[in-house]
Amino acid sequence: MANTATPQPAPRLIDPDAVVAHVEKARRQSKAATVILTAIAGAICVLLAAILVYIISAGASKAFDPAFLTSPPQQFKEGGGIGPELFNSFYLLVLTLVISIPLSLGAAIFLVEYAPDNWVTRAVKTAIEVLSSLPSIVVGLFGFLLFVLQMSWGFSIISGALALTMFNIPILLRVIQQALEAVPTDQRDAGLALGMTRWETTVHILLPCAMPAIITGVILSAGRVFGEAAALIYTAGQSAPALDFTSFDLTNPACPWNIWRPAETLAVHIWKINSEGVVPDLTAVSDGTAAVLVICILAFNLIARFAGRRLSKKLTAE
Amino acid sequence: MEQTKVNAPDAPSAPVSSHTQVAAARAVSKEVAIRSNGTGVFYNTDQQALHDVSLTFHKGEVAALIGPSGCGKSTFLRCLNLMNLEIPHCRIVGSIDYHGVDIVNEKINLFDVRTSIGMVFQQPNPFRKSIYDNVALALTRHGMAANSTNLDDQVEEALRAAVLWDEVKDDLKKSAWALSGGQQQRLCIARTLALHPDVLLMDEPCSALDPIATRAIEDTARRIADTGICVIIVTHNMQQAARVSDTTSFFYLGEMVETGPTERIFTAPEDERLQAYISGQFG
Ligand SMILES: Nc1ncnc2c1ncn2[C@@H]1O[C@H](COP(=O)(O)OP(=O)(O)OP(=O)(O)O)[C@@H](O)[C@H]1O
Ligand SMILES: [Mg+2]
Repeated sequence: MANTATPQPAPRLIDPDAVVAHVEKARRQSKAATVILTAIAGAICVLLAAILVYIISAGASKAFDPAFLTSPPQQFKEGGGIGPELFNSFYLLVLTLVISIPLSLGAAIFLVEYAPDNWVTRAVKTAIEVLSSLPSIVVGLFGFLLFVLQMSWGFSIISGALALTMFNIPILLRVIQQALEAVPTDQRDAGLALGMTRWETTVHILLPCAMPAIITGVILSAGRVFGEAAALIYTAGQSAPALDFTSFDLTNPACPWNIWRPAETLAVHIWKINSEGVVPDLTAVSDGTAAVLVICILAFNLIARFAGRRLSKKLTAE
Repeated sequence: MEQTKVNAPDAPSAPVSSHTQVAAARAVSKEVAIRSNGTGVFYNTDQQALHDVSLTFHKGEVAALIGPSGCGKSTFLRCLNLMNLEIPHCRIVGSIDYHGVDIVNEKINLFDVRTSIGMVFQQPNPFRKSIYDNVALALTRHGMAANSTNLDDQVEEALRAAVLWDEVKDDLKKSAWALSGGQQQRLCIARTLALHPDVLLMDEPCSALDPIATRAIEDTARRIADTGICVIIVTHNMQQAARVSDTTSFFYLGEMVETGPTERIFTAPEDERLQAYISGQFG
């Protein structure tokens, strides 16, 4: 409190020059900030675009070749494809989403709408935040111990899907939780004041409002799941038995729908051929796979975004 | 009492207006809509925000609740449809008699109570849906529509009752969020009226609106009361209370200080706190 002891000279109330100088300084700063921020944003966009263009152009010759997309991989010869890997990636993604969306939706609704505000709820919310930043290799090794060894399901789609679910649920849960919390309280009050139950209010009023944010969250998490390798190496395994799409015998390892068979995905395939691959066209296969992976993620981002916009338009009449 | 005479708007010789006749007719057969007995509210288990409020509201009447900010008007209003129960650690004491049932202490169906005691909030809060769905949602959820034509009819009836139909009849499929603030508020009234409540609670329904929209809401409130519904309106605006209400109750620091016919409250206030409030010394 030194400045209360030493009296300040009485300031002149308005000094026109100082005002002009101040305004000009503020304008200059604003202009400089705009230039710098635009430059940073531009640099990031260019960098991302360059990475995308590089990955896709490097793998373009393979990625748009139907034979590569449908044929099985080769162990020693060149000319192998990624047909089973492509299918496995989608199958695992769908299974993971089918398990994790309802679970995280239910848990998020419970946490936001029903759970009393006490230390248990707060502890659970903190735990979810911690889990959502868990390294995926840890999830993978945990899945290996629990599903592969303890449950003795071996390297299988079910082990992989459950590991991915564990990896996905905290992320999805947090997104849905935040989406629900962002719905204005007055919408909830309006529903309750009309004599609707909490559940009716949630399903018919809150969820439609939160839907765009939920869909964005699901897409982002789906992208992460689709490209995930570490959690799958020790759970879904690194081998891809050739698939026979005419088989519906769920015990047959060649049956695509059999959840007990090992299933290497695109991301795991990239990792495997780069670390222990011996095929002569290793680089081409790896580049092609990477391009396919990136194109798939881009594609379902766009599709889901479009579908999400249509859906929310339908729900909100806007 | 002398003061009453001096300030009374109608000179004794003037013809009796139809409004006073209606009021007089009502006075004979006043039917109680809802009555609170020593109602109090605790927030956070020990913090008492409302003390011992006993008020009786009649059907076909507009009752105004006035008082300075933070005096417990909204708190009291939210007791009447038990919305306070949605606030964690909030407790209602005393009793509220509604159709012979004590809704505070007896085991009642909360959702039925809220269906027949409607509420309109301070900020217009239409659902993020079409105008039609805003009104139709609760009707369908409560199974009150026999079929889709019947639902259409009920939606139209509710929108007419809230004096909104003529403005929106061609845009029923449009988003309710695209309406003006005043229209949104009347839509909120409409969706409440659609459930045929016999009590309508309005918590400062005009505070976000301009004077013209305010007048429209006031007229709507008056009409609704004339159909036999009990309208309870919280307001900061004393002119508004004087314009629309039949009875007025004054709240101060969590207590109901004075209640009576609106005219009497504004012309011959008894409590000095009310006198100070009316003369604009605080609030
Ligand atoms: N949810 C709540 N939790 C704790 N205290 C609350 C809560 N709601 C209101 N209160 C307290 O209760 C008292 C009365 O609040 P209330 O909202 O009923 O006032 P009001 O008369 O409606 O005021 P206003 O005219 O500003 O709307 C205030 O002191 C307020 O701080
Ligand atoms: Mg209030």
